[in-house]
Amino acid sequence: MERGTREYALWSIGIVLIVFVALLPVVWIVSLSLKEPSTITTGPGISVWDAFFPKEITFDNYKSLFEGGIDDSPFIKPLINSVLIALITTLISIVLASFAAYAIARLNFPGKSAILAGALAIAMFPPISTVGPLFDMWRTLGLYDTYPGLIIPYLTFSLPLAIYTLVAFFREIPWDLEQAAQVDGATPFQAFRKVIVPLAAPGVFTAAILVFIFCWNDFLFAISLTSSDASRTVPAALAFFTGESQFTQPVGSIAAAAVIVTIPIIVFVLIFQRRIVAGLTAGAVKG
Amino acid sequence: MTLNWFVGTQPGGTIQEVAKRCTEQSNGEYTINVELLPTDASQQREQLVRRLGAEDSNVDLIGMDVIWTAEFANAGWLREFTGEDAERVTKDVFDSVIESASFEGKLYGAPFNTNTQLLWYRTDQVDEPPETWAEMIDEAERIGGFIQVQANRYEGFTVWVNAMIESAGTQILSGPEEVDLEEGSTTEALAMIGRLANSPAAPRDISTSNEDTARLGFEAGDSPFMLNYTFAYASAQANAPEVAKNMGAAVFPSVVKGEPGRPPLGGFNIGVSSFSEHPDEAFDAAACISSPESQLIATKLDGLPPSNETLYRDPVVRKAFPGFAKDVADSVRAAAPRPTTPAYTDLSLAIQRSLHPPDSINPDDPKPAYDKLYEAVSDAVKREGLL
Amino acid sequence: MEASGARMRLGRNRAPVSERTRSERRLGWLLCAPAVIAMLLVTAYPIGYAVVLSLQDVDLRFPEEGGFVGLDNYVAVLTSELWWTDLLNTVFIMVVTVAIELVLGMLIALVMYRAIFGRGLVRTVVLIPYGIVTVVAAFAWFYAFNPDTGFVNNLPLIGDETSWFGERFSAFAVIILAEVWKTTPFMALLLLAGLTTIDSGLYEAARVDGANAWQRFWKITLPLMKPAILVALLFRTLDAFRVFDTIFIMTRGAQDTESVSILGFSQLISRLNLGLGSAVSVLIFLCVLLIAFVFVRWFGVRMAEGRPGA
Repeated sequence: MERGTREYALWSIGIVLIVFVALLPVVWIVSLSLKEPSTITTGPGISVWDAFFPKEITFDNYKSLFEGGIDDSPFIKPLINSVLIALITTLISIVLASFAAYAIARLNFPGKSAILAGALAIAMFPPISTVGPLFDMWRTLGLYDTYPGLIIPYLTFSLPLAIYTLVAFFREIPWDLEQAAQVDGATPFQAFRKVIVPLAAPGVFTAAILVFIFCWNDFLFAISLTSSDASRTVPAALAFFTGESQFTQPVGSIAAAAVIVTIPIIVFVLIFQRRIVAGLTAGAVKG
Repeated sequence: MTLNWFVGTQPGGTIQEVAKRCTEQSNGEYTINVELLPTDASQQREQLVRRLGAEDSNVDLIGMDVIWTAEFANAGWLREFTGEDAERVTKDVFDSVIESASFEGKLYGAPFNTNTQLLWYRTDQVDEPPETWAEMIDEAERIGGFIQVQANRYEGFTVWVNAMIESAGTQILSGPEEVDLEEGSTTEALAMIGRLANSPAAPRDISTSNEDTARLGFEAGDSPFMLNYTFAYASAQANAPEVAKNMGAAVFPSVVKGEPGRPPLGGFNIGVSSFSEHPDEAFDAAACISSPESQLIATKLDGLPPSNETLYRDPVVRKAFPGFAKDVADSVRAAAPRPTTPAYTDLSLAIQRSLHPPDSINPDDPKPAYDKLYEAVSDAVKREGLL
Repeated sequence: MEASGARMRLGRNRAPVSERTRSERRLGWLLCAPAVIAMLLVTAYPIGYAVVLSLQDVDLRFPEEGGFVGLDNYVAVLTSELWWTDLLNTVFIMVVTVAIELVLGMLIALVMYRAIFGRGLVRTVVLIPYGIVTVVAAFAWFYAFNPDTGFVNNLPLIGDETSWFGERFSAFAVIILAEVWKTTPFMALLLLAGLTTIDSGLYEAARVDGANAWQRFWKITLPLMKPAILVALLFRTLDAFRVFDTIFIMTRGAQDTESVSILGFSQLISRLNLGLGSAVSVLIFLCVLLIAFVFVRWFGVRMAEGRPGA
């Protein structure tokens, strides 16, 4: 296939544009977080360059997030909550979803299409529809403002997502290899551990990353079902940060916290790009 | 024994300091543990009511915004202050503040700090602070500068609307469920809001403005006037010393010439939860938290105006409000609290929804806005309809 | 799906069911049971409870009052101008967002699929918006456009004092921009998956027949990608209908930019009027069902082909 220079130029422009637009807000929030608090205010008559980039770089906004240690910092406890809640949810959904996905991919039983379709329907569920009842139930059950109080609703979207991704991956696994290994003298457990686990692990890992990103992202449940640092996650905490006085918006601290919660995502993306793309596109279209 | 105090955080450290002081004062009888809530009053309330609605016995003391008293008391979440408890926490306190801590004639909060909005003006651009809104708008238009107010769709807009309606000589409610809104005065107040919003003296971002954008606008230097709380002075000193040098304070302008302006009233009172298992200690702690000594800590660390009238002669207050301590006291004295009703949240949302954005009010024909407001308020006190 | 479905039908016809088949069924159900029960508990039960609440007068601020009120809450919602304004806002945001995303997503998918160089770079970079917390993205765009903190007003050709969040349609524009930025990558990746299923031999054949690039796109790419496009549209449409975070951060619904999710939140969490709020919730749920139904019925989307993850 011959490709002309014109086409080449077109692709280049496209790529540059995509990269620019995708990164712009990220660079902007980083830049904002490095600004001296007194220079955050912009206004008419300043050049775009000066409005965008900090005059002098300072890490004060980051320092202020961690001041006062775990008890008084507005950020440390929510960060811990976010990590733990997302990890626990991921673990539970991956375990439950692996059983289900294995069965759906490998076994023959009536109702499995229904389960898959049902999971899909649940994934499309509007979260606001369950916020009210969950709030009322948690109030009476004492789950309000606790870890389980968030983990349970997170399962609504993490389970279907995990089941779907895993089914797509498990379908691709050549399960016959297991039998072949057994024929070669391996015990069933050895065959499972040596053959199936390495084949399934990438899919499981990908599903885990996707579920984690989802839990990390939630805002609606987090602001509705928590009321203190006991379980509030970062997205909710961001909306509640305090400024210099009761009436000022803490732009710098919000930007710094935003950067910190974005770092793990960027790391994931850089390291696992291929896996995530595979996970998102796996099973998307089945002929 | 531990008493849990749920209260909005103050960045200067007032809350922690006061809790420490009162813990020490109790001689080991109790320890006050602070549970901080977000700064935004609406969000504080959302989090508190969920706990109180769940009859959470962990809540002993509550830092209550002045507008929550009726709602919390009506729901049975607060214990009444009676006898000696009531006497000691209301001694020398402004009447307007006591009113804000009371519901149906009973006292439900120990007044801690108060807050009020002053008219801030540029002494280098304006000779005399204007007495009325009409004069102020004329003056700003003549200078070619802005008047900074709070008119985003949030509680601050209700604060402004209420102050305008009160300054025009009427009130929103005459009882928990009785709408007043006398038509002549209310339309006058609404017309004035519409006039400012549609005037060149309105900042471009008026419909998204809040306390913070207002002070930023004022600090930018192109606004001869601003209505804002006392924090604006300290902020200007820190961020725009040139502006702060020429910053004058006066009492909230009136809507009707010759009548007094009725400034907004903010602040926090300390309530004792009905679900607390240690009410006696909690009342004692509430008295300590709201004592004059504690109020001065709040003034010193966070620039919050005391609710105790006599403290305005204290050096701490004079230092925090250099040259305008008396204006603050006058303003609190003249202030008009927002309506007292158990359905306050609904009422406030209804006001915001019916009048926002402010430039939708036609200054020459405010009647449609009035009708909308009246209907919305009438539904809201009955808690009807979507908001 | 097709293959397993066929196998299942076969299995059903084969009588009598062997012991092995029966034990396989049992194992299948057993393995699926925990996930299925968990999903039912966390969704079906609350939605049922929401229906119950929506038929009562429940206001946590007035604990003494209450009781069954029939459909009163629904009448209150459906006769309120606010519900219809907010529904219209939501549909507007949904349609505009998804339409822009479809076009951009297709372009990005083509770039990711066919670019001569930089494919890996683009694939990595588009995952960043996908992974970023929506609230963070909303704050970033909010501060960029906010006249007090932003740089957008300092760009040439843009008024220095433009108050983006002070007018309805400029506020919508920023909200939609933030949503499009955040979710186009997902659309692009789904479309990419569709593109990869097209047999490249078809293009060669078309080329030989003298079809230009544009014709090849319209005659080959689009028709063959129809299933992938419809699935992507369905998922993004339903997801866009739930829009909450971005609006909450940017305007909190002021300037008539409120979505139905924000409306529900205000009734439930700000007012603690669980009865009225639940009626809103149930109606939102019904809207989602309706949208899904329309896609399945009119466009023939096969739900089983789709995937969650938006």
